[in-house]
Amino acid sequence: MSVIAPNFKLSEFIKSLLDNVFWIIFIVVLIGLPAIMMVLFVIEMPVIDGELLTPFLALTWIADPSRILPIVKAFMATDIFRVMAFPGFGFAALIAAGTIFIERKMLAKLQLRVGPFYCGKLEGILQLMGDGLKLISKEIIIPAKADKPIFWAAPVLFVATAAAFVAFIPVAPGWVVADVEMGLLGVFAVIGFFPIITILSAWSANSKFPFIGGIRALFQMVSFEIPLILSLLGVVMLTGSLNLSEIAASQSSFPWIVFLPVGAIVFFITMLAELERIPFDLPEAESEIVAGWLTELSGMMYGLVQLGTYLKLYAFAGLFVVLFLGGWNGPMIVPPFPAELLEKGIEMGPIVAGPFPGLPLFTQEMLNGTLWFVLKTVGVIFFILLPRGVFPRIRVDMLLNLGWTKLIGLAFINIFIALGLLYAGVLGPGGLQ
Amino acid sequence: MADAAFLALAVITIGSAIAALELRSLIYGSIALMGTLGGIAGFFFLLDAPFVALFQLAVYVGSIAVLILFTVMLVKRELIFKKIEDKRRKFAGIGLMLVVMVSLGAVFLDSGIKTITTDEPATDFRDIGTDFVTYYWPALILMGLLLAGSVTGALVLAKREDVENDQRAS
Repeated sequence: MSVIAPNFKLSEFIKSLLDNVFWIIFIVVLIGLPAIMMVLFVIEMPVIDGELLTPFLALTWIADPSRILPIVKAFMATDIFRVMAFPGFGFAALIAAGTIFIERKMLAKLQLRVGPFYCGKLEGILQLMGDGLKLISKEIIIPAKADKPIFWAAPVLFVATAAAFVAFIPVAPGWVVADVEMGLLGVFAVIGFFPIITILSAWSANSKFPFIGGIRALFQMVSFEIPLILSLLGVVMLTGSLNLSEIAASQSSFPWIVFLPVGAIVFFITMLAELERIPFDLPEAESEIVAGWLTELSGMMYGLVQLGTYLKLYAFAGLFVVLFLGGWNGPMIVPPFPAELLEKGIEMGPIVAGPFPGLPLFTQEMLNGTLWFVLKTVGVIFFILLPRGVFPRIRVDMLLNLGWTKLIGLAFINIFIALGLLYAGVLGPGGLQ
Repeated sequence: MADAAFLALAVITIGSAIAALELRSLIYGSIALMGTLGGIAGFFFLLDAPFVALFQLAVYVGSIAVLILFTVMLVKRELIFKKIEDKRRKFAGIGLMLVVMVSLGAVFLDSGIKTITTDEPATDFRDIGTDFVTYYWPALILMGLLLAGSVTGALVLAKREDVENDQRAS
């Protein structure tokens, strides 16, 4: 028996659903269909293959796989699909959502707790959906003396910037939203926008805790950007390219982490700091300054910032995979597409479905590349989440000391290692790769 | 297409530059300054120089604008600025601006910019790099030493032992 809704009855719930269905059918039949027919009466339908396109014919085509598959394929080649669905926002948001759930569950297991449990039958798997619904339905409260335009714009800008970051990450050969020559520089430029949005959001709330958190975030992000950029120069030197797809493709035999472990470690630590993860979560230190720069955000504004944070986490993990772990490269483990599906179709007793001539929507290389990319990214995300269960928060002065002295020094050592490998002839022209 | 983009960028750049000067709120002024710097990055994109454009974004919008914002936020405006405003100053300022703009424009139009052909291919950033290490190497080494000096200075500042606070981490 649920405590939250004591008068809940399943029968009444089903009855209300059926009610809705009835009214929808009623309105569609009485108003919708005549309206469509009237519109069709006015519009001149095109003639395709010598046949006049009638609604009946259009419905037949939609049900016919040999007709609909080319349309799906053509849609998948468009930019809209890339931006919204596969290598872009939808894919990243899916991984981000998975990350949130795995983080809560894994943290609970590490600390001998249960974690989300009640929402959904299996291990609280619907908890995320419940949280999302709660965030959407909550009231958005704006502080009375806040600077309203900036306060409203900051969460949206945060998500937009994170999505722009995601757009640079190549997932499989040829599957990237923005395949630009200067991909890595674009990443640096996009990373530079996060502290601005953070500090503007913090300032506009006109409240103590957000402002302290924002100043901390600014310190942390700006000072860790320098070792971040320096630690990636080694990879750029060895690859001779700033295009992320080319960098990933250059690691077909060895990932760069084999040659540049120092750079990879420095990049990983700066990544934790840029993402405000524990042990560098000073901007959001719950035990000191409530929730840091997120304190005054409520409802879906907070939800947007969280979404942006996890998109950023995915993008950073993807960047680590592309730069140091070989991107999509890996042994071919996806089986080839069964050829009899194209010629004969599926035979199930008396029924034959198919054949499906245009079927392999994705090539084998693309599926394999995506699989390896996702596996590696999930592994990196696991290692980003892991310190949260283990480490305490470090102090501000320790953080700045680490960033400005140790990491920058190590990043320079990494550059010299890369130069040494290049001039010794181990890598580069005539070398291993 | 390029003309429309150029006009839009010009409007953004000049408009936000005026806003950066004229807005009473310092924060909005610095946001407008960011718009100006971003618009200049857009001009570099239009000129087929994405390398310079992205560095413009990363350095000017990403770092310098952040520094300005940060400084502005820690400043109490009333303590520094006294409002001096009268009509005569305003008109004198506008007149001065017009004189400067007209003379700069005259110099610009006189410099033979109309006869430049724009069909040449865009310069690759690798060529710029090659030029740097061959023809302009003294300047490069000077810049390198300067940057190394500033990074070392930053490291020394970060390492500095603060006498007042003996609780600092080693």
